[in-house]
Amino acid sequence: MQQLTLFIALAKKEMRALSRDLQGLAALFLMPMVFIIVMSMALKDVYAPRAQSQRHAVINLDHSPKSERLLDAWRKEHGEPVAPGSTEDWKEALRAGQLKYVVQVDAGFAQALDDGPDGETAKVHFFAEPGLDQSLFESTRASLMMQVAQLRTESMLSQLKVDGDLSQATQMLFSDTLLKAERVGTHARPSSVQQSVPGWLVFGMFFVVAAVAGLFVEERSCGALARLRSLGAAPSMLLAAKVLPYMLVNCVQAALMLSVGVWLMPLLGGDGLSLQGIHWSALVIVLLSISAAAVSLALTIACLVRSHAQAATLGPILNVVMAALGGIMVPLFVMPEVMQQIAAWSPMNWALEALLDVLLRGADVIAVLPRVGRLGAFSALMLAAAYGLFRR
Amino acid sequence: MMLAIRDLEYCYPGADAPALRQVSFSAARGEVLGLLGPNGAGKTTLIAQLAGMLSVQQGQIEIDGQPLAQLRKQRPNFIAIAPQEYAFYPTLSVAENLDCFAGVGGLRGAAKKVRIDECIAVAQLQNYRKVQAQHLSGGLKRRLNLSIAMLHQPELILFDEPTVGVDPQSRAFLLDAVKQLARDGTAVIYTSHYMEEVQAIADRIVVLDQGRVLCQGTLQDLLSGNASVLIEVEDDASQAQLVQVLCGFGQATAQGRGAVLALDGPAQLPQVLESVAAAGLQLRHARFGQTDLEQLFMSLTHRSLRD
Repeated sequence: MQQLTLFIALAKKEMRALSRDLQGLAALFLMPMVFIIVMSMALKDVYAPRAQSQRHAVINLDHSPKSERLLDAWRKEHGEPVAPGSTEDWKEALRAGQLKYVVQVDAGFAQALDDGPDGETAKVHFFAEPGLDQSLFESTRASLMMQVAQLRTESMLSQLKVDGDLSQATQMLFSDTLLKAERVGTHARPSSVQQSVPGWLVFGMFFVVAAVAGLFVEERSCGALARLRSLGAAPSMLLAAKVLPYMLVNCVQAALMLSVGVWLMPLLGGDGLSLQGIHWSALVIVLLSISAAAVSLALTIACLVRSHAQAATLGPILNVVMAALGGIMVPLFVMPEVMQQIAAWSPMNWALEALLDVLLRGADVIAVLPRVGRLGAFSALMLAAAYGLFRR
Repeated sequence: MMLAIRDLEYCYPGADAPALRQVSFSAARGEVLGLLGPNGAGKTTLIAQLAGMLSVQQGQIEIDGQPLAQLRKQRPNFIAIAPQEYAFYPTLSVAENLDCFAGVGGLRGAAKKVRIDECIAVAQLQNYRKVQAQHLSGGLKRRLNLSIAMLHQPELILFDEPTVGVDPQSRAFLLDAVKQLARDGTAVIYTSHYMEEVQAIADRIVVLDQGRVLCQGTLQDLLSGNASVLIEVEDDASQAQLVQVLCGFGQATAQGRGAVLALDGPAQLPQVLESVAAAGLQLRHARFGQTDLEQLFMSLTHRSLRD
């Protein structure tokens, strides 16, 4: 009973002190929320490119029915083009980024469709501005190529004297009935929100490092810690009393960030986070293991630093480096092999992948156990280090 | 005696010299024991050992015949400390700080509430219950420090420089509170380098310097048999010559525009004055009297308490 009273008193003190630490609260709740909103909006087109919104121009130098058909189809799919002006005008507009791309159909296009390419000069040109995102460049180019290929196929079938509606037959060749691409996993459609929420939630949860270290340094430097020790509070109890409040903070963070994804993002015009079909028990276990890892790391750092300045710099720096290495700031797949191998040792990466397993890949409790185990081992190691440092 | 310290030694890791050497003294219930010494004398080290923040390396600390470490395990609230720092949480209010330390010490429910109210009343902090500690004045912070120390009704309270940086009114309040604690039967160890404070409230005094006990006893014991004469001459430039003359009679040090000579009693005084006149020095002022703690300390260490 005595120990429980002690624990409650310490935990209550921790919550009260944290509730008055406005900077700490902003870092824990506001910062990841802002990151989720900003990054989800900023990366929206990466996951759902809106080719129609790209300002572009078309130039028809062929003036044939086939070139007209090509550009009509392009308009339908990619929106109304703007007037290109003179050659100098549209080239300057491209260089300045005022136009995203220009599609030019050269004279002889219809002839080339019937005769086949002459192997020397292309009849359709795709000019893009220098800053056009590579994935958008490739997808627009592929779209254009498919429409040209559709016309060429139609022309070839016509030459083979195939009966029937050639246009419809050709469209069937390029429809989902022959090839359908889809992602395997939950019902959730991959979106920037679906990717951003796990990443920035992990980042935010690990940000308890700064808050824990700051408050710990304060209570040590003001003599309160010595007073607690003189009242018989054991080091293990002092550490344990910090674990629970900050795990609660992490739980509130998780609830808030998921709510932002589910409810706030659609209100802001973004995609909503879908939690349909996920295993909730797996989500809870993953969140608890991430929280344990974050809080235990925070305690180690808190016992390691000696001043407010160290606490204010070491915590955030460590967090940002771990986030960069762990694939939160830069997606893992764009990293070189060496960096990917380093990331595989980052607790933030284990945390991120575990959350992505649950939220995107529909993993159940059994499936997340390996990553949860790693996070648990990391927590145990950090707690042992914190205890050793605290006693010293 | 409740507290008995015998041959206590302590050396910080990596330090050249020990912080405490062969320190022995005792304290009784209802007594204020003044620990006097300049900065670096070893007062805070001694307090830290008594509060259980530093382990005993050599020597013994016993409370009622029981080793301190053993007693601390059985009764952690037996000793309380009002440290030199503001040992509370600046962003918590007065009441919240007391609530925290009361809970840590095992108080709960109605008993906790009653005791918090009592301590707030003793420290006269009723109007500041909900004020965050960081917004209190220096004097009020010291009062909060005192009230936290009193929470668990300890039998021994350690005050480590409790009046540093407080206004005279708060200082007087704190000194009265310390005396009242002793009157109520609590043993008080009060460290300070303000000799007038120690002189005013301590029943017995231990003078420490460089980790050693220089002398100990009641104020009367320490000062009896110690008298001094202060002599000033007209010509300030002759101060060195005056000191030289006085050194022929004992330990003399320059002070102000003259010099102080420690004497065993008034019998030597005429002879001293004759020698000053014989040396051609024109006497302007001479004052004979009992030594105060400052002079006693200077005569023992050749240094000021504030050094």
